[in-house]
This record gives sequence, C-alpha cells and structure tokens, in this order.
Amino acid sequence: MIAIRELVKDYGPFRALHGVDLEVARGEAFGFIGPNGAGKSTAIRCLLDLLRPTSGSVEVLGTRDLAKHPAVRARIGYLPGELVMAGKQTARDHLTYLRELRGGAGSGRMEALAERFGLDLDRPFRGLSKGNKQKVGVVQAFMHEPELLILDEPTSGLDPLLQQEFLSLAREAREAGATLFISSHILSELEAVARRVAIIRAGRIVDVEDVAILRERAGQHLSLTFDAPLSAAAIDAFSAMPELEGLVISENALTAVLHGSPDRVLKEAARSTVTAWSAHDRNLEELFMERYREPDAADHDGRRR
Amino acid sequence: MSRRYPILAGVLRRRRRGLAIWAVALASVCGMYTSLFPYMSGMDIEAMTASLPQGMMEALGYDDISTAAGYVGSATYGLVALALLLVFAIGGGAATIAGPEERGELELELTSPLPRSAIYGQRLAALWIQITVLVAVVFAVTFTLNLLQELGIPQGDMVAATVQLWLLIGFFGSVSLALGAALGRRAGALGGAAALAVLSWMFNALGPLIGLDWLAMISPIGWYMDTNPMTRGFHGADALLLVVASGLTLAGGWWRFARRDLMT
Repeated sequence: MIAIRELVKDYGPFRALHGVDLEVARGEAFGFIGPNGAGKSTAIRCLLDLLRPTSGSVEVLGTRDLAKHPAVRARIGYLPGELVMAGKQTARDHLTYLRELRGGAGSGRMEALAERFGLDLDRPFRGLSKGNKQKVGVVQAFMHEPELLILDEPTSGLDPLLQQEFLSLAREAREAGATLFISSHILSELEAVARRVAIIRAGRIVDVEDVAILRERAGQHLSLTFDAPLSAAAIDAFSAMPELEGLVISENALTAVLHGSPDRVLKEAARSTVTAWSAHDRNLEELFMERYREPDAADHDGRRR
Repeated sequence: MSRRYPILAGVLRRRRRGLAIWAVALASVCGMYTSLFPYMSGMDIEAMTASLPQGMMEALGYDDISTAAGYVGSATYGLVALALLLVFAIGGGAATIAGPEERGELELELTSPLPRSAIYGQRLAALWIQITVLVAVVFAVTFTLNLLQELGIPQGDMVAATVQLWLLIGFFGSVSLALGAALGRRAGALGGAAALAVLSWMFNALGPLIGLDWLAMISPIGWYMDTNPMTRGFHGADALLLVVASGLTLAGGWWRFARRDLMT
C-alpha cells in the first residue's frame, strides 16, 4: 500500500529526512510517531507528491510516480496537519468543491459525517474554531470512502469526546478494509487504532514496533502511599521486582515506573494498608528522553532501520 | 463546466463578486474620463498644454489631445484603464497560484486527483477570462460613449486598440501568475511583475526623450501603444510579440511549477 525506500529530503542545506524506510501493508493501521519537527509531515508530503524526494523512492497504491498518475489520489483521503481554507466560503462550499475535484465522489456521506461530528456546514470557514476546522478536515478525508487514509495529527484541536468519535470512525474505516497511516506525537491516541508504529526522530526511523510493546516500554508512573513505613520484607519484595524501574521508597511512600503488568505490585502492596495510589501513562516525550535520546540509540536493539 | 473544468469553475465562482466590483469601478472611471472630452475640447487645451516641452507631450501622448481619438487614447486607454487593468492583472496573477499556496489554501487541491497541469491550466484560464471581461467592459463603455457623444473615433481603431490592450494586460497577468507559480511566493510575483510594468512604461515614455528609441521598442507597453493606442491601428508584429512573450513566460512558469516542491 505504502512503500518508502531510502527516502532523503533536503530543504536547501537542511536535511529533513535521512534515508527513511517504511512499509505499510493493505488493510493495516499504521502509526507514525515522533516529536514535532521530526519529519513526519515532510514524509507525508512526499507520499502525496507535494514534495519531490531528493533521493530514494516512494510507492503509494502501487504507483511510484504520482506526478504521472495523479488520478490514484482519488483513492486517498488526506487530512493535512494544518488545514487552511479560504475564509469567506462556508464549509459546504469547500466540501462541494473538493467533491467536484474528485469527480463527484462522496456526495452521500458529506451530510452524515458533518452531523455525526456536529459540524454546521453553512457557517463561513473563517469564523470556525480550531476544532470545527479540524472537523471539516476529517469530513473531507473520509467522505469519499478512500482505500488509503493519510492523516497528519488527526485529533489535534478536537475535544476528548470528538477524539473518541474520530477514533471510532477510524476503526470503522479499518474494519471496512481501508489502510490507515496516522501521524501523531501522542502515543495514546494511536494505541486506539494502530497496531504497528514507526518512531521517527530527527529525520530517521529509530524503531518500528508493535504498539502494545511500545506502551509497555513507555510504562506508567506509579505511586503508592501506605499508612505506615514499609517493612524490610516488603521493601525487599518491591526491590526484587524487575517491572519496577527507578524505585524510590521513602518512609511510607513508594514511586516507580511500572513496565508491564501491575499484578505482582498490587498483590504485594495489598499486604499493607494503602491510603492513596495513582498510576498514569508516561507520555512519548519521556520515552524519547529515555530511549531515543541519541539518534543512533536503536543500534542497541540491533534493529536499526 | 464544473464537471470537466472544476478548478476553473470554482475559481470563477469565488471571484465573481470581486470581478463585478472591478467591472463597475472600471466602467465608472473610464466612462467619466471619456465623457469629459466634449467639455475639455470647449476649453483651449492647446494653450493649457503649450507650456509643456514637446518631448514631454509626446511622452504623455498629449500631442494630439485636442482630437477625440487622441484624448481617449491617452487619457482612457493610455492612462486610467491601462493603470487599473495592470493593477488588476498583476494582483490577480499573483493571487492565482502563489497567494493561496502561500496561505496554505491550495493543499487539498494540490493533493486532489487532478494533475498539476490542470491546476496551472485552469487557474490560468480563469485569470484570462477575468481579464477578458474587464477589457470588454472598457471597450463597451468607450464604444457606447463614442456613439452617444458623437466623438467620431473610427470603430476599427477602437477595436485594434482594445485587442492590443487585451494582449498587453494578459501578458502582465501571465507574468505575475508564472512568477508566482515558479516561486510559490506572492511578494515575488507582485514585485517582479510590477517592476516589469514600471520599467516598461518608463522605457516607452522616456526612452525617446533621452534619444534612446530602442528602449521603447523592447517595452511591452511600447508594443501596445507606441505614443497613442487609439490612433495607431492594428500592428500585427507588436501583437505577435505580446503573444509570444506571454507564451514564453507561461511556459517557463509551468516548467518550474511542474518540478518544484509545493507548499513549502
């Protein structure tokens, strides 16, 4: 569906992509994750033939040369990272125009999708909030039921409720057989849809991994408070658990980063009286700080790509 | 039309209000200038302009300003209509590709199933259609006043002046569009085309004054009007020069647009 090989992209003297390789199979939901400025949008714009590779190749839906076969883009739904449309026209004007550019596909779904996301189609684009503009982007990307969806930061600007709505829309598309390529800088929003994730940093793919493994690697911040200082036996038991990293026990409080199942930790904690607890997912930035700090960090895995 | 040429139809639909305003403004200004002639000829224009040096009079096209054709040629076709249409064409050319690309509005059009050639071609056609409409407005107003006020300007000369005006304005619109398509920057398109227009006016008006007649011969505005567009008749060679210059500029703009990175 998508095959990127040794893709290099320079902007003048600045190298934005240093030989990216990626493969996305038909029907797959693939996440593309990395901090802002890592090269996600550059790679996506090469896929759509907005940018021309400095070297390397890009294959989308079986064609290597979109410039010669632009009609292939009728089968792609693209949501730009930052959607800009002329301000005077309404969302309906814009969507109707895009439908005409695509040869009329998507007439039936436009209204239904707008209603699902609570989007008023008859207000001028200029007056729309960031979230409402993003809804217009989502509607145009999905309305012609494309085989391949390329979504650049799709949930940015959407409130949590609409993020859920978007994620269920993405899952429906996947179940209907579409291939999804979603970029994000937030791991948790990819978890809900994608199975595999590529991590890009400073223009290089540093890892391609199952999203569940990545989640385990990222871990959770865990903190437990007890009604009394822990016994020596309990301290020994917690210290011996490999799933707890950076364990700190002071008086009657415990903090650590938990990787994997919390089961053993909870059972051990339950021997004492727990007065307070919290556990929250670590964000991607922390994972990057720890694991992908060096551009060549993935070497340690022996799976540099 | 929106089926076969969706971009052309879309651009024209969005531009229709602005175009209508331009048409009304242009018609009023041209109508006002042209209809002033009978009053002007009542005054002693020769005396009013006698203090100007002969060279300057020629440069401004005022040497035969006491005749209707001389006046309409220098005041309407040589000055107000020319200036307003140049502003429209250069601004409109830059706003055809470079403006919306720079603002980011073109992203979904550029990633639609249509090839870059359709985007360039249909947007170019939209610009030329708008220019054609406005030049036709200038012609219609002048033609009507010529009849109503019995100015007696030969209709053949008027058609010739209009065709050559149309080609000139189309040329500057094409320069602005092509520069914008090549650079992706609105300021570059505006600046380049405006500088060319100013230079070309100066070459035509001032070249002969300082004894460098060849400057007027390489000036597109010189190809249009020489000293007075309304009295010179149709010049096939100059018209051809404008057509060829437009074609070359547009080909250059397309060459770059087809190859460069978009939306950067």
